[in-house]
Amino acid sequence: MLEAISSITSAIDKANTLSSTRAVQATRLAPAAPSQSVDFGDIMVQVASNAAQTLRAGESAAIAGIQGKASVQQVVEAVMSAEQALQTAIAIRDKVVAAYQEISRMAI
Amino acid sequence: MGDIYLFDVASRQAQWLAVRQATISSNIANANTPGFKAKDVEPFSKVFDQTQLTMAATDKGHLGFDAVHAKPAKVKKTDSWDVMHSGNSVSVEQEMMKAGEIGREYSLNTSIVKSFHRMLLASTRSGQ
Amino acid sequence: MIDPLQASSRLAGAGLEAQSMRLRIVSENIANAQSTGKTAGSDPYARKTITFRSELDRALDTASVKVKEIGIDQAPFRVEYDPGNPAADENGYVKMPNVNMLVEMADMREANRSYEANLQMMKQTRSMISSLIDLLRGA
Repeated sequence: MLEAISSITSAIDKANTLSSTRAVQATRLAPAAPSQSVDFGDIMVQVASNAAQTLRAGESAAIAGIQGKASVQQVVEAVMSAEQALQTAIAIRDKVVAAYQEISRMAI
Repeated sequence: MGDIYLFDVASRQAQWLAVRQATISSNIANANTPGFKAKDVEPFSKVFDQTQLTMAATDKGHLGFDAVHAKPAKVKKTDSWDVMHSGNSVSVEQEMMKAGEIGREYSLNTSIVKSFHRMLLASTRSGQ
Repeated sequence: MIDPLQASSRLAGAGLEAQSMRLRIVSENIANAQSTGKTAGSDPYARKTITFRSELDRALDTASVKVKEIGIDQAPFRVEYDPGNPAADENGYVKMPNVNMLVEMADMREANRSYEANLQMMKQTRSMISSLIDLLRGA
């Protein structure tokens, strides 16, 4: 489960380095563009870590539920949130990977 | 992010309904206890306005919905249909009617949540 | 804090137990409605009564139910003239149990109704928990 999240962060890192390289090259031709790629990367990392956190919370809720320490509603909600977070994170990862591939195809 | 608000409201209503179910169960169990007065919970609209909307988990030990703070206050309903000689005010018919309400509302609540959960998953899944 | 749905289950269970006990007492009374004493002039079967009390469940602040006591009805025995009976006193009168069949039958119907209501609550609680868990199921 958490491999999906780490694959997302590594994909974001790759895209980050690649896009910042492009940004450096682009500034030679045009006036300094605002470093939007870095901010975007930060947001993506935040999303990924948020998803990881939600997944951990879901796991601990499930364990507590099995032990009888949490109510059924709490467990169900935590697991559903984890499911949603994971799905969203995977979708973002796929988009980032696709974007990275597109950028790498760009002729310099 | 409209979906997240919906899940929050549905969660609170589900919690409120569960507490109400416990209250009604208590009333019915005590239908023949002398001096027992039937109880009910405050209406959901009242409870909902009082509780603040808490954001999702802030530390990994947190289980999400904080049930303690959202516990609805109990009120003694004095408009029960009749009061018996023994001082018992539980009307089984009235309680069963309330139970029917709870059952319906809970069913609707879980169906809505299930539906929106699926929609959310489907929206992130499709397209590539 | 205890899960309120779990508490509902327990409360309904306590109610079922209480009403079960009540039905048992009523059955005993009905079965012994004609039970006279063994020796001359002795007392017959005395009608049993049952009272409940509520017990506060601290965790959820709800009131469960428990049997408070099983007592003896102090109403006087009725007397029948039956000199042939072993329990007849010197004048031929036999003390009969203070059990009124109509009262007992009404009580039994009441107890049944309460039992069914508790059962219904338990079923509904189970169905609520089920639909909650069902949220996690499905594609």
